[in-house]
Amino acid sequence: MKTKSFYAKRIHPLVFMALVTIVCIVLTAALHLYTLELVEENEQFFLWRSILDAAAITHDGTPSNVVQIFNEFVTDEGDRYVINTDDGIKRYVFASDGPGLWGTISVMIGFEEDLNTFSGVSIVSQTETPGLGARIEEPWFTAQFAGKQGPFRVVEEGTASSDDEMDGITGATRTSESFRNIMNRLLESDKVGRGQ
Amino acid sequence: MAAGKYKKAFLEPLGKDNPVFVQILGICSTLAVTNKLDNTMVMVIGVMFTTALSSWTISLMRKAIPDRIRMMVETLVIATYVIIVDIFLKAYYPEMWKQLGPYVGLIITNCIVMGRIEAFALQNKPLLSLVDGLASGMGYAYVLLIIAFFRELMGTGTLWGYQILGSWWTSWAIMIMPPGGFFMLAIFIWVVREAVFKEEANE
Repeated sequence: MKTKSFYAKRIHPLVFMALVTIVCIVLTAALHLYTLELVEENEQFFLWRSILDAAAITHDGTPSNVVQIFNEFVTDEGDRYVINTDDGIKRYVFASDGPGLWGTISVMIGFEEDLNTFSGVSIVSQTETPGLGARIEEPWFTAQFAGKQGPFRVVEEGTASSDDEMDGITGATRTSESFRNIMNRLLESDKVGRGQ
Repeated sequence: MAAGKYKKAFLEPLGKDNPVFVQILGICSTLAVTNKLDNTMVMVIGVMFTTALSSWTISLMRKAIPDRIRMMVETLVIATYVIIVDIFLKAYYPEMWKQLGPYVGLIITNCIVMGRIEAFALQNKPLLSLVDGLASGMGYAYVLLIIAFFRELMGTGTLWGYQILGSWWTSWAIMIMPPGGFFMLAIFIWVVREAVFKEEANE
């Protein structure tokens, strides 16, 4: 085998690698910029939809409908969202989060005008075990809080009946307890100002 | 002769040279994503896309890549395709993207992708490499879908999110947790090797 020149051995690989890198970066950056607006719209849609869900305001699930209802009824007061509908319904929605089993669980928690009764809960993001802890996203789980006042204790799945009970998820005790903590901590915090 | 080569490149990864149950590659993602059919479907489409196109790309460049940096170039090309999949899902299928989360990025570490490039694409023509990559992705896909079918059915009583088994069915929580993936994969490999490969050996 011939000995390679210094260029072929040392410089050429570097130049080649730099070229490939530039091509790859340009490709992905272009695609990223091209879809940026769409991605931001998606994120805003998810956030607004979860605020409306927490306030138990009905929408048809399409982005245009959610944006329209949100702009009409919701005002952002910094630490909370206030919802005033045409029918005279007034509700408050708070953003909250806490540690789950694997990562942070972010939620929107809605209250009726009295700031005592929950109007609903929705999940903004979570990374719990798919099929177990991730079932906190299922409608039956988030719907169970509406009309209750808490603070909650976790009971076996499907048995919650009284005002201070919440259904846990079978096989996801830790996630259920984390969720209870997120709910109860908001109740105790100054944000809600319960009892004042 | 040429057609025979394509046929071989296409059929072998589906059967006797299957990446999952023969080469035992891509096991980590087999365990991670197969607890629900819809997750699995998106994952396998992503892997098929990535293996096919990165094999094709590397094969195009195979004579130009300096040997000592070939691994770096391969990783870079694979990562580029995976990021394309990720951005595409994020923009056009945001609900799916939210569900899959980190799994899409993990396609980069799927050993099947780099395995096919190293073993096949570096020595073969672009089109043949594309076929081989696609077929390897498909060989991976159907194994995962079969495993996901049983795991979701037994783990939650649903298929594709729809309730299949009635309330008499007690969900096996173990099936949707990672150990369930080990059990199903082991059973699958055992059944295939006993039923299919033994027969071939006897003939």
